[in-house]
Amino acid sequence: MELLDYMKAKRILDNNGIHSVESMYVKSPGEALSFSGGEPIVMKLISGKALHKSKEGLVKLNLVKREEIEKAYKELREKGDRLGLKPYRIIVQKTARKGIEIIIGGKTDNDFGKMVLIGLGGIYVEAFRDFALGVCPVNGYDSMRMIHSLKSRDVITYQGKQEKEIEKLVEKVSTMLKKNEWIQELDLNPVIISENGYEIVDIRILR
Amino acid sequence: MPNVSNLDMMMNPRSVAIIGASKNPDKVGHVILQNYVNAGYSGRLYPVNKDADEIMGLKAYARVGDIKDRIDLAVIAVPAKFVPGVLEECGKAGVKSTVVVSGGFAEIGQVKLQEDLVKIAKKYNMPTLGPNCLGVMDPRSRVDTLFLPTFKLSRPQIGGVSFVAQSGAVGSTILDLISGEGFGLSKFISYGNAAHIDEVDILEYLMNDDETKVIVMYIEGIRRGRDFVELAKKITKKKPVIVLKGGRTAQGMQAAHSHTASLAGSWESYEAVFRQFGFTIANDISELLHYAKIFASEPEPRGGRIGIVTNGGGVGVLAADAIGNSGLLKVGSLSDVTKKELRRKMPPLVNISNPIDIAGDAGEDRFNTAMSLLADDDGIDMLLVIALFQTPGADSTVAARLIHYKENSEKPMIVLTIGADYTRMHKIMMESAGLPVYDSPDAAVKALKALLMYYDYRNNTP
Repeated sequence: MELLDYMKAKRILDNNGIHSVESMYVKSPGEALSFSGGEPIVMKLISGKALHKSKEGLVKLNLVKREEIEKAYKELREKGDRLGLKPYRIIVQKTARKGIEIIIGGKTDNDFGKMVLIGLGGIYVEAFRDFALGVCPVNGYDSMRMIHSLKSRDVITYQGKQEKEIEKLVEKVSTMLKKNEWIQELDLNPVIISENGYEIVDIRILR
Repeated sequence: MPNVSNLDMMMNPRSVAIIGASKNPDKVGHVILQNYVNAGYSGRLYPVNKDADEIMGLKAYARVGDIKDRIDLAVIAVPAKFVPGVLEECGKAGVKSTVVVSGGFAEIGQVKLQEDLVKIAKKYNMPTLGPNCLGVMDPRSRVDTLFLPTFKLSRPQIGGVSFVAQSGAVGSTILDLISGEGFGLSKFISYGNAAHIDEVDILEYLMNDDETKVIVMYIEGIRRGRDFVELAKKITKKKPVIVLKGGRTAQGMQAAHSHTASLAGSWESYEAVFRQFGFTIANDISELLHYAKIFASEPEPRGGRIGIVTNGGGVGVLAADAIGNSGLLKVGSLSDVTKKELRRKMPPLVNISNPIDIAGDAGEDRFNTAMSLLADDDGIDMLLVIALFQTPGADSTVAARLIHYKENSEKPMIVLTIGADYTRMHKIMMESAGLPVYDSPDAAVKALKALLMYYDYRNNTP
């Protein structure tokens, strides 16, 4: 399996009505600065050789000032070279709101084909293993039951306030997986749930 | 979607040939023929054995082709290497269906031999069950291809539960246990290697079988996952399906591979599919039976508010705890009418709240009063009656009262009773009359929860 380029993956999600945070590849600190436009941004190094960006220190958060952006850019480049992560690219993203991190994913099961996953996300995925799976296509009732089966149900839905939004997102992901049989695995992790809905911060599509 | 249709011929044959029937009591073919004879099978029975003229008083035939009759079912119990030849003869003779009991195929690496079997079955469009299986049993039609003697494995009475098992060992164990339960059996199908007829075919057949009210299945893997999903969407809309899956863990999966040449899928995916389509998941053999009996006899509940009647305070508390922990059921609140009536009709020592503790000296009249009030109380959806037979007041009249009450009850009702011989005697009385009896608060509450969850799924899924 190979990892699909981030921006390509983002476009596929966009085409399926699944919007993720604004992102762009940059070739210089200057490009990153103009992308920022005074708003705090996130800078990441993306390489097929680095699977867990945050664990490996390849993510720089909350960059606003010119010096911060330049420093982060320089450090990421140095780290990428030192760890032998070439070829790599630097990507910048708008900073998401604070909230609860969830994961929405997809897999191809040997027996049942495409399956969609929802669970408590970010660093908690493996620690708590609080997730639910559904076989695609899932309808609104299925995704509602998946969410209700989670221990973290009330936490991730903001006491139910974001339940409908998350339900719809799970359905959309299921539809996308069925339409694109070539997608072997998918991680949207984290998806940040806040008072204002959801924001997808990281995307991995394996083909 | 159906891979093989018309299993009806296999379940209700008018004529059966037993190929490999033998005079030697140690042979599988002997036991199978003996079982048909013992069961009083009313169709025409033909032993096939080239070395005998007559077995158990029946004329024996050298080959199936020699029989001058239409054969609806041929049971094949000959060594694996002879099976393709025998199957070919069956095909030529126009046999309508076959059960291959013989082992020695894909489960021990003889893949080619199994492929040959499938080719012949397909060539003659002849539904073939197995190989490496126990076959089928139907107490109504008295078909019984099991090579296990009736003195070792008791046969269940006629009922509404059909049981599908991939494994012969799990199949026969559970079947033996079912014979001790009150609910009875509609059909038993053990399909072994599933070379031709597989689990999807069998479930499809049982889904449309009017005599099957509840389906219980033991599986290790599913061969046609997507077809299974399509069937799963329909089947639980018609009847409850209880599933126990073997091969959940890596160790279990290894055993499954070497066992029935089955491909066990990842448990999480299976669990997700079962949940999504309203299957009731059992975690072991006893849970499977606990669920089977409540589904076999109890009607749809209106909700999850439980009314408890108990002649022992502590067990009532344990049951209320189990309900509290279930995450779905609730101990219901009694209506004012119920409370008033309880006060009027019960002696002062009776506790007027739910659980209704009718005290250790309670006889059938107090049970009757409490149950009748709960039956009429709109705040109660299901009844859990705790009858402890160690108490001074409880004897067979209490068991008889519960049975009588059950026959008129519109709400689901189960009994919890815990104890040794005297209790067991009453448990058997009540279960034979179709009342589900449990021996732990946890098991009782899990069963009530499973009942509610199933109907909740069935009513709410689009």
